[in-house]
Amino acid sequence: MSNISKPAGSRSVGKTVGSFLANNSVPIMFILICAVCIPLSGFSLDYLLNEIITRLGRNAFLILSLLIPIMAGMGLNFGMTLGAMAGEIALIFVSDWQIWGIPGVILAMIVSVPFSVLLGLFCGKIMNMAKGREMITSYIISFFINGVYQLIVLYMMGSVIPIAHSSIKLPRGYGIRNTVGLLNMRQCIDNLLAIRVGGVKIPALTLLIIVLMCLLIIWFRRTKLGQDMRAVGQDMQVARDAGIKVERTRIISIIISTVLAGFGMILYLQNIGNLSTYSAHSQVGMFCIAALLVGGASVDRASIGNVFLGVILFHLMFIVAPQAGAKITGDSMIGEYFRVFVSYGVITIALIMYEMKKRRQKANIGEQLALAQKEEVQHEQ
Amino acid sequence: MNNKRKWIIRGCSLLVILAIAALMFLVGRGHTVYIDNKTLEFNGQTADALQRVEVWVGGERLSKLAKRERTMSTVIGQNFEMKLISTINKGDEPTEEIVKISLPYGWDGIVVNVPGYLAGLPQEAWMTEFIAEPEPVTAEDEPELSEDEIPMGDF
Amino acid sequence: MKEKLKDFIASFGLPRLIISGFLLALFILSPIVGADLPMQISNVINRFSWNAVLVLAMVPMVHSGCGLNFGLPLGIVAGLLGGTLSLEFGFTGPMSFLMAVIIATPFAMLFGGGYGWLLNRIKGGEMMIATYVGFSSVSFMCMMWLLLPYHKADMVWGLSGKGLRTTISLEGYYDKALSNFLQINIGKISIPVGALLLFAVLAFAMWAFLHTKTGTAMTAVGSNPTFAKAAGIQVDKIRMLSVMMSTWLGAVGILVYEQGFGFIQLYNAPFYMALPAVSAILIGGATVNKASIMNVILGTFLFQGIVTMTPTVMNNMIHMDMSEVIRMIASNGMILYALTRKTEVRR
Repeated sequence: MSNISKPAGSRSVGKTVGSFLANNSVPIMFILICAVCIPLSGFSLDYLLNEIITRLGRNAFLILSLLIPIMAGMGLNFGMTLGAMAGEIALIFVSDWQIWGIPGVILAMIVSVPFSVLLGLFCGKIMNMAKGREMITSYIISFFINGVYQLIVLYMMGSVIPIAHSSIKLPRGYGIRNTVGLLNMRQCIDNLLAIRVGGVKIPALTLLIIVLMCLLIIWFRRTKLGQDMRAVGQDMQVARDAGIKVERTRIISIIISTVLAGFGMILYLQNIGNLSTYSAHSQVGMFCIAALLVGGASVDRASIGNVFLGVILFHLMFIVAPQAGAKITGDSMIGEYFRVFVSYGVITIALIMYEMKKRRQKANIGEQLALAQKEEVQHEQ
Repeated sequence: MNNKRKWIIRGCSLLVILAIAALMFLVGRGHTVYIDNKTLEFNGQTADALQRVEVWVGGERLSKLAKRERTMSTVIGQNFEMKLISTINKGDEPTEEIVKISLPYGWDGIVVNVPGYLAGLPQEAWMTEFIAEPEPVTAEDEPELSEDEIPMGDF
Repeated sequence: MKEKLKDFIASFGLPRLIISGFLLALFILSPIVGADLPMQISNVINRFSWNAVLVLAMVPMVHSGCGLNFGLPLGIVAGLLGGTLSLEFGFTGPMSFLMAVIIATPFAMLFGGGYGWLLNRIKGGEMMIATYVGFSSVSFMCMMWLLLPYHKADMVWGLSGKGLRTTISLEGYYDKALSNFLQINIGKISIPVGALLLFAVLAFAMWAFLHTKTGTAMTAVGSNPTFAKAAGIQVDKIRMLSVMMSTWLGAVGILVYEQGFGFIQLYNAPFYMALPAVSAILIGGATVNKASIMNVILGTFLFQGIVTMTPTVMNNMIHMDMSEVIRMIASNGMILYALTRKTEVRR
């Protein structure tokens, strides 16, 4: 058997470097893009550092919510938008109840949980019915629930669901306005315990929450449930034979992801300071997934390191692209289109690489089986 | 047995979360307090506007009010505390007073009339609810519905 | 009797039944609530003629087992290139439509070829990747519309003299090029015979193609690739052909849509154009791996019927325009329903 597969040690150094480059092609490409664009954009280091840290605090939690479904082998959870919508509904209620500041944020998080759990349950059930095409299904679910969300927020809030304050209602008496101001909880978490280093504001509490979340995820991986999820992600059939309730485990992973996405959205919006009722969630899924992939994650493997590298590189590109594009072509729109193109392009490439890898693995298994059979035949002879 | 314990733990944690939510309702209720320096008439009694009053909230001077002026402050929770440094008539020595007011939970905006308060009038005289005019709806506030939201702009 | 009803519901699908019932209710309600029924019918027929070819573009890929063509925007981009280039080269009137189709064809072949090559490498994950191939191509073209050296004054921004506008009026070019051809007016109902005729020709050609040797091979590849391979069919080649056909039909489809609509919409407009077409064919009774011409016709009619009827009927009835929300829930719900059916044998 040993003469068929070469021992790993005999690989040349060149090959190792090559495989490193191949495995990390997306982050490397982004480092190159940023390296070209930063000098062109003409932004100062202080400004960039400030922006990156702000965006880290704003987005990292949202992106962390993607990790658990990946672990359970359900791919990139485009359904995280559902959690974002749950968070938004909670924020609408909280701002109608006039609960401000950090209590408001905490209350919004608590209120978002039942919505998130319900939506996550729905999403998980549907995805169990569409095994093998979870991603496209979760993607369409996000559109479907977006319709339901608009039905609730635009037609039922104020007419069926009591909304007291006319300041967030449309003048016709029902439906929520296009923007809901969150001025009273704007950056309340970011500003508490904020540290200033030079010209750079570090939202220590937000970052602390994110670090705690990371630790929680690391801990979760080691629990029985976390182990089960990994087993399900590896091979559903094997997991089922081992007595794991596959469907239930998958649903739980989606519920956790949805709840975390809801929390993440609330943290995100408290930083922004106002809620675009009908559009805030529509971009979230795509940008978070792109950022995670830029950090070097793939559809079946993502780590906490990928999250942070991804936020930094993706948002660096995001900040500098319009300016750099304007410098090169004289049109600022070019840079805006460029970054949208890059976001989609990254997701496309990651999806393609994943599918190709899956096929290669299948082919390898087939080959090995054939080889093993051949050997057996030879032995018998 | 084990199952029973699991449910008890779940029930308890649910109760704890609900308790936290209820606490947030109490602690986090925000109010806007408008502080007036206006002549107030109540049941035949008159409290004249002060010559000048400085309003301090949270160790910072919010404003210096002349007659018929108004300032505002926001507060989270039902206890509002401010320091008034008031000059009653022209040339008087300013007097300092720390004012602690308990705000009614249901009111979003609350008007506090300083002369009325200092004259010792009953609470319903110097504390009234302020109902803000809803901001006019601009074209921007009208929702434009579509799922065809293109991820342009900042994130 | 009950059994029969159950069987009927099972075969027809509950969501489809609800949607058909809904449309029927709209037609019945329309005169009652005071909407102009002939006008409505006319609108539905016109909308049908704009969109039918885009829906037809789903058929080849479904047949070859590539799933629903969420990558339709790629074909649309080819069509937009054809349309804008035809105008740029100075063609006018109905001639510009013909030229647009002709110019779009090589682009569609090229894009479709590359797209098909890619989809052959990722069998099993077509739909998700198709979605993002569509998005990537549209966002790439967003940059190109600004950068490509178009000069025609009708199309570029007036101030800078370069970069295409977001919407380009087709007046004087191929606006209503097909619709006005042989148009029949019966009272208030106008029937765009030309556009319907083109759809009929394409649909018939598709039907005929599916009955040729290559066509049956395509169906075989879709229903059982292993068997098809064993029977000596070149699976990859057939799949690529189907993708190219879908892409070309997408290109023609958008041109037909534009001639009815009267404008070319560039930049972000094609992003989500795949979803209505996908849900239309599904509403018509197609599944992820089965689609017929009948599904296309029925589906386009039902979908466009709901899209055009709901706003007016709703507005007349309760003075509340919930049509957009209803459309979103109905069409995406239909796609979800189709995705969760266990029709496709996983490879």
